[in-house]
Amino acid sequence: MKTTAGSLESSDCLITISSSDNLKITIESVVFEQFGDQIKEVIINTLKENNIENINVVCLDKGALDYTIKSRLETAIKRMGERNE
Amino acid sequence: MSRSYLFIPGNTPSMIQNLDVFDSDAIIIDFEDSVNTFDKDSARILIKNFLTKYSYDEVDIYIRINSTDSTDFYSDVNETNDLDITGYVLPKASVEAIKQLNRITDKSIIPIIESPLSLLKTEDICKQKNVVALLFGAEDYTKELGIKRSLEAKEILYARSIIAITANAYNIDAIDTPYTLKEDDKGLFIDAVNARNLGFTSKSSIHPNQVVIINKVFSPSLEEITEAKRIIKKSEETKKGAFSLDGKMIDLPIIEKAKKVLEKAKKYNL
Amino acid sequence: MGMKNNNKIKVIKSIDELFTLEDISLNKNISFHHHLRNGDYVVNYVLDKYKKENIRGINLFPSAIFPSYTSILDLIKNNQINNITTNYLNGPVAEYITHNGIPGMLKMQTHGGRARAIIEGKNIIDIAFIAVPYVNHQGDAVGYLGKNKCGSLGYAIPDSIYAKIKVLVTDNLVDTSISNPEIHGENIDYILLVDKIGDKYGIVSGTTEITKNPIGIKIAKNTSLLLNELGLIKEGFSFQSGAGGVSLRVTKDVKDIMINKNIKASFLSGGITKYHVEMLEEGLVDKLYDVQCFDLEAIESLNKNKMHIPISSSRYANPSNKNQIIKDLDIVILGATEIDYNFNVNVTTDSHQTIIGGSGGHSDTASEAKVCVIVSPLIKGRIPIVKKRVTTITTLGKNIDCLVTERGIAVNPLRKDLIMKLKNTNLKIYTIEELANIAYHFTNIPKDIVKRDKIIGEIEDRTYEIIDYIYQK
Repeated sequence: MKTTAGSLESSDCLITISSSDNLKITIESVVFEQFGDQIKEVIINTLKENNIENINVVCLDKGALDYTIKSRLETAIKRMGERNE
Repeated sequence: MSRSYLFIPGNTPSMIQNLDVFDSDAIIIDFEDSVNTFDKDSARILIKNFLTKYSYDEVDIYIRINSTDSTDFYSDVNETNDLDITGYVLPKASVEAIKQLNRITDKSIIPIIESPLSLLKTEDICKQKNVVALLFGAEDYTKELGIKRSLEAKEILYARSIIAITANAYNIDAIDTPYTLKEDDKGLFIDAVNARNLGFTSKSSIHPNQVVIINKVFSPSLEEITEAKRIIKKSEETKKGAFSLDGKMIDLPIIEKAKKVLEKAKKYNL
Repeated sequence: MGMKNNNKIKVIKSIDELFTLEDISLNKNISFHHHLRNGDYVVNYVLDKYKKENIRGINLFPSAIFPSYTSILDLIKNNQINNITTNYLNGPVAEYITHNGIPGMLKMQTHGGRARAIIEGKNIIDIAFIAVPYVNHQGDAVGYLGKNKCGSLGYAIPDSIYAKIKVLVTDNLVDTSISNPEIHGENIDYILLVDKIGDKYGIVSGTTEITKNPIGIKIAKNTSLLLNELGLIKEGFSFQSGAGGVSLRVTKDVKDIMINKNIKASFLSGGITKYHVEMLEEGLVDKLYDVQCFDLEAIESLNKNKMHIPISSSRYANPSNKNQIIKDLDIVILGATEIDYNFNVNVTTDSHQTIIGGSGGHSDTASEAKVCVIVSPLIKGRIPIVKKRVTTITTLGKNIDCLVTERGIAVNPLRKDLIMKLKNTNLKIYTIEELANIAYHFTNIPKDIVKRDKIIGEIEDRTYEIIDYIYQK
């Protein structure tokens, strides 16, 4: 079951998450060379803040800034939580 | 004091992160009409994270929340009340709705007068706690009346007048409705001047390209600034509460207005 | 140096004929101009023959390479190309070279520098293939007439005089005499007749529209305010701007100030668009000096307006030419992909190290103009345009005076005179490092991904100095 948040508009990113028994992060970005590591760090930190260890995260990035990546991931997590209620 | 109020869609990062670039005196981050129903949660989280990380001293930031009869109303306020924003813009405003809002926040409120009923209650609305300005929403207002909008805008003359007059009487700002024709600078200019001539202090807009013209129209003119300087100078010299200048009676309210003009001139580097 | 042709011009009907009349294998330095832009058919027609005949060791001297010049890519892939010397390249050829290099060197020159090098014998061209929309039997040609007209032939003129063998390629050979030809027949050896020299829609695809993007509008507004405050918009001033959306908006804003202050400019130069033509026809400027036309209106204006003057690339920007037009240029507005703390500007590669352009007239005009202003958004797709060191130096920092972005303006510390004039301004002036930090505040600092292991090209300035190298990605 996949949950998404965000969009493929410029400066946004589309986050898709699904449950998993390990941590898998996939990033496709228009600025992957310059910011790939940074994007991964934001995703990892956001998961940590939300006490999530095992999850499948796919990030399709169109040059989103850190606060946007964090927000879209948090939104997807919230929506997944609501779905599971 | 703001001359311009620019609406920015609340779920669009490319606009949000440039909110100070457009030179609008105030920004209205929109959670209502420009955000899809299924993305309201997304907008709240985006703005919460954005305004936690970035602060803006030079721009007044408001959020247009969803109306009190929507399921998003409480979340909109609760999730943003701790942020460094000036206040909330309340759509479909009524006395009761404003009271509801005041129960969950103490921030400034700008009610949108966008229905015939709320227009009739303009004065009561002005009397509510924390109300700092009125915003006229002609689109919904004319829709409810079942009339068409025109460039001439005769059909909204009465509504505009009531809002401008009432706001002035209660010493708050009156913000005119957006000019909806894109890329029509001449029409925008005329519309803004008409609003100013009725006593509006400001105008809202839905496109960044409209801000420069709006700021120009609602700035005090060189004559007004010069006149205000003369009034303040004379009031400091005479030390009397009321005096005569150019054969006109200058008393306290006029001196206060002159002070406001100079404040505006200073703030906007005129 | 090319020799004056005292023999009658030979009219030939195919490139095959030329191959029988000249020893192609002894004349491997060949040139083309790019005035037909992406609608050019001549480059591919000629080079397809070179490909078929398997001519190897070719040294290409195109003034620019557009995406449609796919025959060049074929030749490179077939290992038939040795060196390429050009002022601008974009599209599949540029991308391929970025990742693979070529056996020889990619030498990037400026528009003025190429003219200089051809005239002074540094660029030795054996055969110049010159597409002309309108030519007579005497070999006199112009670019602003004919069914596939392209306007000014400025970049072709040095080739038409100094190449060893000069071939005019046309689809419109006429019998009329031509007064004031751009190309003079006394220099020409061959006229090659083809069906079509190009596609007319591709030819006039040069101009963008004036930007409507609010960020572009703000940048343009601040630029015109800056120019005004520096006292540069005054009676008889001269001005040049690119054909990009923001540059055109700057031109419009400057025009508004000129109308307001009742000011007439002495000339506008460079690439000419309908917007420049409007200003001429509205009496806001005395002359247009045209080295290339970007749209149909510019081409037609060349034909009808006496004060719209076509000029050669040498007269335009050759530093050795004493009549160089841009030596009198007051203001130039240019773009950038990157700018660094020393104000060096890059328009050759993008922030992913891919070749996407080249100086064209960038370094020429920046070197000569009294004030050079770079206009650009501060951040493009999360990448700040300000960085410690640009990927490729196209134009040296000492020639760049101001950077205008939507968030503020930086002035080169070398221009104490300009900084002085802006002492009491309301405009937001920052140091270039401060602008970088404003960007990083939003984007974070990008990882430096520039590879500098293998040199595949060199950036030769108009002074002949090599100011930087291009590296394989």
